[in-house]
Amino acid sequence: MSQTIAAQPPGIPDLKNFTAQLDVGQLSSFFPIFQKGVTVPAIVGCTLKSFLCEQMAIPTDYVTERITTIFLDNRPVDDLDRTIIQEGSRVTLSAAMPGLVGATMRRGGFYAALRQGISHASDSGATEGTSGTVRLKLFNLLLAELGPLVLLRGLILERNELDELLHILSKLPDNAPDGVEKIFLSVSFSGVTT
Amino acid sequence: MDKIARIDMGAAGGPKVTVGDLGEYAGLGGRAMTSLVVAAEVHPLAHALGAENKLVISPGMLSGTTGSMTGRLSVGCKSPLTGTIKESNAGGQAAQVLARLGYAAVILEGKPVGDDLYKIVINKDGIKVIVDNSLKMMDNYLLVAKLRQEFGDKVAYMTIGSAGERKLLAASIACTDPELRPTRHCGRGGVGAVMGAKRVKAIILDDAGMKMRPAKDLDKFRDANRLFVEGLRKHPVTGEGLPAYGTNVLTNVLNEAGGYPTNNFKSGQFAGSSKISGEAQAELEIKRGGSATHGCHRGCVIQCSGIYNDKDGKYLTKQPEYETVWSHGGHCGIDDLDTIAQLDRIDDNIGVDTIEMGVTIGIAMDAGLIEFGDKAGAIRLMEEVQKGTPLGRVLGSGAGITGKVFGVERVPVVKNQALPAYDPRAVQGIGVTYATTTQGADHTAGYAIATNILKVGGDVDPLKTEGQIELSRNLQIATAAIDSTGMCLFIAFAILDQPETFQALLDMLGSFYGITMTGDDVVALGKKVLSAERDFNTRAGFTKHDDRLPRFFYNEPIAPHNQTFLMKDEELDEVFNW
Ligand code: SF4
Repeated sequence: MSQTIAAQPPGIPDLKNFTAQLDVGQLSSFFPIFQKGVTVPAIVGCTLKSFLCEQMAIPTDYVTERITTIFLDNRPVDDLDRTIIQEGSRVTLSAAMPGLVGATMRRGGFYAALRQGISHASDSGATEGTSGTVRLKLFNLLLAELGPLVLLRGLILERNELDELLHILSKLPDNAPDGVEKIFLSVSFSGVTT
Repeated sequence: MDKIARIDMGAAGGPKVTVGDLGEYAGLGGRAMTSLVVAAEVHPLAHALGAENKLVISPGMLSGTTGSMTGRLSVGCKSPLTGTIKESNAGGQAAQVLARLGYAAVILEGKPVGDDLYKIVINKDGIKVIVDNSLKMMDNYLLVAKLRQEFGDKVAYMTIGSAGERKLLAASIACTDPELRPTRHCGRGGVGAVMGAKRVKAIILDDAGMKMRPAKDLDKFRDANRLFVEGLRKHPVTGEGLPAYGTNVLTNVLNEAGGYPTNNFKSGQFAGSSKISGEAQAELEIKRGGSATHGCHRGCVIQCSGIYNDKDGKYLTKQPEYETVWSHGGHCGIDDLDTIAQLDRIDDNIGVDTIEMGVTIGIAMDAGLIEFGDKAGAIRLMEEVQKGTPLGRVLGSGAGITGKVFGVERVPVVKNQALPAYDPRAVQGIGVTYATTTQGADHTAGYAIATNILKVGGDVDPLKTEGQIELSRNLQIATAAIDSTGMCLFIAFAILDQPETFQALLDMLGSFYGITMTGDDVVALGKKVLSAERDFNTRAGFTKHDDRLPRFFYNEPIAPHNQTFLMKDEELDEVFNW
């Protein structure tokens, strides 16, 4: 892992920045932390659609057709344009799921009525965005498909998360350098276009 | 499939086989066959383990054909666990072989007087019922290995383990997969105990010399099947998600939704969920030289199953399904895939339903027998079941009985059958189906089938509570129909989303039988099956008061949504008003 001078992520004061270039075979080492959730910098106060399409730069078609199941703070989301992310929001992205419950969780799906009571209620209007962070989780097919993009954009890792990663990743030190409690990590993979 | 075999296990002078034509059951298969036979022929007040009960084994309407996904086998009877009518289905090779042998149903009737144990051999020459006491108390893996020495590898086996012989209420019937492993189980409702009560240890199905069942319109059937397969392959769930991760891909999503029952339904989220997710499971399986993509029968193009090897790379069990990973995992506070796989192996071996057993272990934990999360303790309890100790027999009798014996108040059962892996306080609509299904709590009773295309009961307003009642009704009707075709329920998403794939399914049925099949016909079939099942249950003494969830779902809010089950009784009573 090489430390470089990278642009400071918005709203993240004085974090040590690391960038790494890894072999694509190591991508799956990040899957456990993606499933548990990673902290990413974000402009908060804006819509979920703008977070995904503009900030994360995920193509709109992909968001519409592939990310069929989205949770905000444990609530299934139906309308991306009327869902506002806030500081510390937990955003979870999944591809289509099997079974009735899978269909039930689907965004705007035919069976959405079956989860009445836990669905995310529409928010009223975005505010002016401010810098902050969002906790992002990726599941199933999206791990490999969106993982490289999320990693390239960068994550904020607590020391324990970094240590956990370094243990799994090969050819890197086993532990974070002394005194480092939190870092901003950006990773690119050879041979992967995001 | 133009004949029905009846085997009277209690006939004077020994079991007697009668093969007759289909009569009033012509054109039926799968759940339609099992439920209509049981409803018409079994006394509703019969003791489920007595001579009056019948065990009806029926391949689906399209089983034994070249059609894809057609290998589900239905087994029906009066359930010793629930006291209701029961249809329990499984994959494996049995349905295809039995259908090619020409049997629309094999019905085990009566009950022998003595202690002899039987095996039944069905091949092109007919049916033989043979005493074989050397099989007594063998569990499924050893049993199948022994039978293979005698009957070889080109047959399908249906067997019961020691649990079935002991007539435990969680006992299942195992069907072998293409590799002849006893991993596909008609699990729910104690059907294995009914087979055990009839003293039938194994059914050997040998279709040597038999051909695929031909369609009436071969060209149309072939074309429809091609379109159907294309539809399955292009859909992200049936073409990508299920093959890559299997059904356990739901763990992360249910946990995120707060609907993943944890530590015997005390919370809707499990801290260890990502360690036992389908994603983690698939990665481990591949790393150990197993496989995350495997079909439970030949002709399955989705291949939602897999092969789970142990740490040394040796086969341990098939890929545990979502419900199994949940029941032995989050429900018991266990976050270790290897422990869950070992428990799955024990379940398959002794022949018990993985959902019922997992839920039962969780109740034993709640009772203080062992701690939540105690991996070795969970295995030890399963070993008690295997040995048939008094404690093991209590546990093997399922969640309801175990809860009563140990004085546990929070017992997640409906009609005495354990709830599967979705908390109805988070996903209320699922609770409607759990409460009202004819089968006892069952997630497959209302599956995500093309109810939007079928429009049973018209369009639904997703913002009204009535929507949930209407959806549950429609789902139950559509599921009853699909369960009759022999099609795996996992085709659901593709036919839900892609009208052309649903049409291809109708065309497969129509061209096979030389009829025109419409959505209305599917609805009519589903209603006919459900009506017969409801009628049986009513005659067996069940009322609307049995169509309820346990009270704790109404009284104990569950985190993270802090919600209780809100559906009113009067609303639940509307599900079967059509
Ligand atoms: S999708 Fe899964 S359960 Fe269905 S037939 Fe294939 S392997 Fe069996």
